[in-house]
Amino acid sequence: MSDQKISITYNDRVVRQFLLATMLWGIVGMLVGVLVASQLNFWRLNFNLPWLTFGRLRPLHTNAVIFAFVGNMMFAGVYYSTQRLVKARLASDFLSSLHFWGWQAIIVAAAITLPLGFTRGKEYAELIWPINIAVALIWVVFAVNFFWTLARRNEPSLYVAIWFYIATIITVAMLYIVNHLSIPTSLLHSYPVFGGVQDALVQWWYGHNAVAFFLTTPILGIMYYFLPKAAERPVYSYRLSVIHFWSLVFVYIWAGPHHLLNTALPNWLQVLGMTFSLMLWAPSWGGMLNGLLTLRGAWHKLRTDPVLKFFAAAVTFYGMATFEGPLLSIKSVNALAHYSDWIIGHVHSGALGWNGFMAAGMIYWLLPRLWNRPLHSVGLANLHFWLGTVGILLYVAAMWTSGITQGLMLNATTEGGSVLAYPNFLDTLNTIRPMMLMRVIGGGLYLVGFLIMAYNLVRTIRGAQPVDGTIEVFARSAVPAEERLGAAATLFNPPVVFSALGTLFACVWMFGGPGLQIVGLFGGAISAILAVAHFATRGTRWAGWHERLLVSAASFTVLTFVAVAAGGLIQIIPTVVVNKAQNMEDRIAVPYTPLELAGRDIYVREGCYNCHSQMIRTMVPDVLRYGDYSRMGESLFDHPFQWGSRRSGPDLARVGGKYNAAWHFVHMADPRATSPGSNMPAYPWLYTNRTDVASLYGKLNVQRMLAVPYPAMSPAEVQANVAAQAKTIAEELKVTQQLTAPDREIVALIAYLQRLGKYETVAPRTAALKP
Amino acid sequence: MKSPDSLPPASPPPGEDPLRPHTYDGIQEYDKRLPNWWLLTFYATIVFWIGYWMYFQQSGLSTSDGAKIDRHLAQVEAQKLAANAAFDDASLWKMSRNAVFVDAGRATFNATCASCHHATLTGGIGPSLVDAVWVHGGQPTQMLKVVNEGVLTKGMPAWGPILGPKKVSEVLAFILSHHTPPADVALAAK
Repeated sequence: MSDQKISITYNDRVVRQFLLATMLWGIVGMLVGVLVASQLNFWRLNFNLPWLTFGRLRPLHTNAVIFAFVGNMMFAGVYYSTQRLVKARLASDFLSSLHFWGWQAIIVAAAITLPLGFTRGKEYAELIWPINIAVALIWVVFAVNFFWTLARRNEPSLYVAIWFYIATIITVAMLYIVNHLSIPTSLLHSYPVFGGVQDALVQWWYGHNAVAFFLTTPILGIMYYFLPKAAERPVYSYRLSVIHFWSLVFVYIWAGPHHLLNTALPNWLQVLGMTFSLMLWAPSWGGMLNGLLTLRGAWHKLRTDPVLKFFAAAVTFYGMATFEGPLLSIKSVNALAHYSDWIIGHVHSGALGWNGFMAAGMIYWLLPRLWNRPLHSVGLANLHFWLGTVGILLYVAAMWTSGITQGLMLNATTEGGSVLAYPNFLDTLNTIRPMMLMRVIGGGLYLVGFLIMAYNLVRTIRGAQPVDGTIEVFARSAVPAEERLGAAATLFNPPVVFSALGTLFACVWMFGGPGLQIVGLFGGAISAILAVAHFATRGTRWAGWHERLLVSAASFTVLTFVAVAAGGLIQIIPTVVVNKAQNMEDRIAVPYTPLELAGRDIYVREGCYNCHSQMIRTMVPDVLRYGDYSRMGESLFDHPFQWGSRRSGPDLARVGGKYNAAWHFVHMADPRATSPGSNMPAYPWLYTNRTDVASLYGKLNVQRMLAVPYPAMSPAEVQANVAAQAKTIAEELKVTQQLTAPDREIVALIAYLQRLGKYETVAPRTAALKP
Repeated sequence: MKSPDSLPPASPPPGEDPLRPHTYDGIQEYDKRLPNWWLLTFYATIVFWIGYWMYFQQSGLSTSDGAKIDRHLAQVEAQKLAANAAFDDASLWKMSRNAVFVDAGRATFNATCASCHHATLTGGIGPSLVDAVWVHGGQPTQMLKVVNEGVLTKGMPAWGPILGPKKVSEVLAFILSHHTPPADVALAAK
């Protein structure tokens, strides 16, 4: 260690850029949110325009809030705090700028492509493949810039905020890449490599952990920096930080299947999803406790300081949402809540309460420091806080009421449980309309709060001089080798060895045969006892090892990766191996005809999955309403799967043949003509657009690569096949005076809808597909 | 639990808890014990996982979701079969002259059937129900079968499983109220 004193100027320019982008995209994302919430109340707000319909704008809302709003906020907070926590300027100004402008370009590309209907059809993973590659590249830029900065740090030991940033960077990279694996059919379209139940599992491994590692861990890191700074109090407990960090990153990954409870997902995965979600409760609350208890001795400051008000409320909402999550993961609770507004309320208490308020607190704290001028108006910041709080409470309370009401109505039966009490789906929808309106009001108030913050921001920084932080430090060449952990010491030490043994024995117990189960159970118990005994007698070695881990960034990163990778590997690999046609029992899907596939692509393009599920759960009310419960094999060839997550409209898994073609023809043009009271948008453009037949040949080739058993067809054969089926449908429509040319998109969509629920029965273990 | 502290605490102000020696950009850390209730919650959820997995995946005592719902559905079907057996042509005609049944049937018809058969029963997407043409048989029990089981090839959904026998019979009463019963039934109904 040299004792030469050097002066460092932080790169706060990129922090300011990300901060302003947060403000801008936050308002855009929330504005779209208020619009889509209004569309659910007033269908005319879809304006009969393709690029303004709910199905295309809802993905824009979710992507904007997650990746544009929280993304930019995260980058601002990570870059500001990391430079100060490691006492080093960001490694590369070029990479910092590339990161900023690259990310904004991605957001603009998303904002253009999503309304135009270019989508992959998977929630929060809708962006098309060229943008996916850009996201991955920019994320790598972020990672390089971050880890390079760590490598040049003048502070040997890593603070807890940095741990969470490391977990964020490596886990999001892993999740994003795996869930976006696709084979392109054109520059703008691709099919995901996974299909059916496997795609569902990968999607929710990603979706759930996007919540965990994009919306939670980076924000926890930000909390660990900005909250003690603002409160001027020490963090409550380092020990709690250690335990809740490692347990959080290990357990979170396993909980994804709780999005698929009571579905065709194999039962062992459902059980893992539910039980690990319950185990996640305490680790999540560890973060809440460390945040709230850090405020001890500073609570009086909440009266005057809007920053602390926002932080205290945000951490409280975090605690509420992470209690609600495990509750909703209990299978019987989920039977009521899944597909309902309760889930929407749950994510918004996280997004509005936790993410939005952390962002607001951080921005109010940073503004005076980055522009060297006091906040324009503390009064307006307080007004923002109260508008936002009332907005969230209205929103969340409305969604609880709405979700539970509709869930109870949909599941209610009469006449001894044999008949649905509310057979008409629209009765349940129209009962919750007042609550849906209340949601618009709550969300609107929240948006007004952010507009006030934007005004406050502009007034604060207008004419102000941007200022970059500086610090004088003793430069240090490197951490002495004897302090750092080598490869062996990283892996072979009491905490890691006992954790690995415990996980190994747990897997042997869960997945082994009858004999191995006993071995696993006893091995696990003995490991646990030995670990406790070892910790009781030699706890200082555990603590000393962790201290050394904190000066070894590479070792820390490797162990974090191992912890987050374990759960996914154990859940996904068996499913990938098993999810093959020859393994399907009971029922197996019939591949779509080329015209049906074209119709399916239209279904995906219009975002029908945002309101309609294709998954009849193993529950009597579901079966009474929609038909026999869905089997795993029935969606085997679905790339992407379309099981859905919210039923604003009824399930469509077996809608094929339920009505005739004429019904669909009338319904898509004017949903209220067949279904009075519906809030579904009309789709007039389907009656004028011609079906894209030219691309089908290439699409079928890609499907064949993905093991969908299509016979080889020449482009001419594809065309002939499409023309023949389209003609049949057009002629069927003619009988009831519904006149259309057979080459219109509505015909392809009807072909797809009318075959939903078609399957072949197979004998166990002898399933073979006829070509 | 024993304290694993290995590092000497920085000297805290009197009456304050010990702080960790390190500060990061001015941020200090206490090293307080984990709250017992928090630890117990964590342990309890782990024990629950072990017990839940053993019961549902290994003990052989639980029934699978598929088996469970198949049993429930068998009960539902048995109830419906028993209820449907009660209807014959004469009783359905009789119901069609009863204002209570007809009014209840009208409500269900308007909510469920009118989108295809029109509120005036004159037809649209589906055929007319007030003319003399009965594509699938004009006896009340034949019509009941059509409503219950649907004619899937023609786009008529099976309403029995959704509406249940009571509502289906009411709808039928409403439809029949637009028609005149045959002489023998009409006499019996009086």
